[in-house]
Amino acid sequence: MAQGKNSSNLKLFNRDTFPLFYFLILFILCLIIMGLDYRYKISNEIKAEISIINTPINFLINLPATLLLQVKSNFVTKALLEEKIKMLEQNVYHLSINIQENKLLKSENKLLRNKLKIHKDFNIVGVNAEIILPNVKNGYRVITINKGINDKIENSAPVINNNGLVGQIINTTKEYSEIKPLTSIKFAVPAIKDSGKENVILYGNGNGELEIPLFPESSKLKVNDIFMTSGIDKIYPKGINIGKVIAIEPSKFPKFNNILIQPFSQPTSYSQITVLKIKK
Amino acid sequence: MTKKTIIQKKQESYLMASLTSVSLILSNVALPWTENPSSMPNYFIALIVIFVVLKKANMSLSKLFIIGLLVDLFIGQILGQYAFIFISIYALNFLIVKILTIKTETQILSLSSFLILISFFVLWATSQSHDIIIPLGLLFHQFILTLFILLIIKFTINTFTTK
Repeated sequence: MAQGKNSSNLKLFNRDTFPLFYFLILFILCLIIMGLDYRYKISNEIKAEISIINTPINFLINLPATLLLQVKSNFVTKALLEEKIKMLEQNVYHLSINIQENKLLKSENKLLRNKLKIHKDFNIVGVNAEIILPNVKNGYRVITINKGINDKIENSAPVINNNGLVGQIINTTKEYSEIKPLTSIKFAVPAIKDSGKENVILYGNGNGELEIPLFPESSKLKVNDIFMTSGIDKIYPKGINIGKVIAIEPSKFPKFNNILIQPFSQPTSYSQITVLKIKK
Repeated sequence: MTKKTIIQKKQESYLMASLTSVSLILSNVALPWTENPSSMPNYFIALIVIFVVLKKANMSLSKLFIIGLLVDLFIGQILGQYAFIFISIYALNFLIVKILTIKTETQILSLSSFLILISFFVLWATSQSHDIIIPLGLLFHQFILTLFILLIIKFTINTFTTK
């Protein structure tokens, strides 16, 4: 009896019984939950509801950047502000000339389209938002913006800025939305060369660039060629700038090259973006 | 075997709660020296592995399942993924401890490393990115970072809880 007690005290062997039945139930439950979530996207709905908890976390993460920006703006001198106003006035002047030119081009374009019987709606309708902070969520790069379901932002909507395509909405909460940047791994967008040739699919490589993994060696493509959305997927409108070719490297397979494309848009904190409406 | 006092149990639970909050915040922040976000450590796997291996905060299957679901809601890709990983960690640890005697620091570290690797495998197998090949270089980088975080958490546990 005494020996038995001593051996128990040593705890050389784990004599506890494994809760196998309970484990199996939880194991099956996990698989069922994963299956249901994959099929019905339940977690996205719950995430939207619990955004009230995420808001303070986002606030905390953004706090140092916000404070820095506020402090910086307080120290901007009058002379600097006047210089900036002058620069903006010049910009407005140039843009107003461009608008006039665009109006003329638009009317000419309309006439030509009517003659050639090409009917295409180029109207870009969307909601303007501001990037709060490009950050990383558990190993995945995301861009958080200050608009959400309350501003009628929908999941999978394309996002653009003045330089070109930024990415796609992957998660929306009441007040915030998350964008998957176009350079993320698994991001794919159908594209076309600005000359109207070479229909391709561009893939994000996760290192701040896009790539075409196997591009035929025989196709004519050179560095600085520009790619834009082709619109064949009916998600991204046609004609949005994506990026330019920065490198053409030989791939493992003969007669195929690996093309690297640098995106035009480099979204940073507090910059403006436009979330486009999904055409149904 | 000495039984834990109520104060010790409370200490461990509070520590678990605070470390979970810290992990939640850190999971949303990119480290300045890592350009690729995939090479970030997995704070939650490190946290759960060390708490399970050291038998702290009275970890049970149901507790781990609930924590896993909560983690999925905040940072997960799919609901149930982390719950699945955490209960797998518990089961594996239980079975290994039943077969082998884990007493020394090296043994604890080896067991933790093994559990982290298995967790990464489950994470990859249930990932929504449907990757067929695991990028080994990236996996090794992430493994080292997670192990480093695990050591920091272990040090924190040893400092803030009475033995």
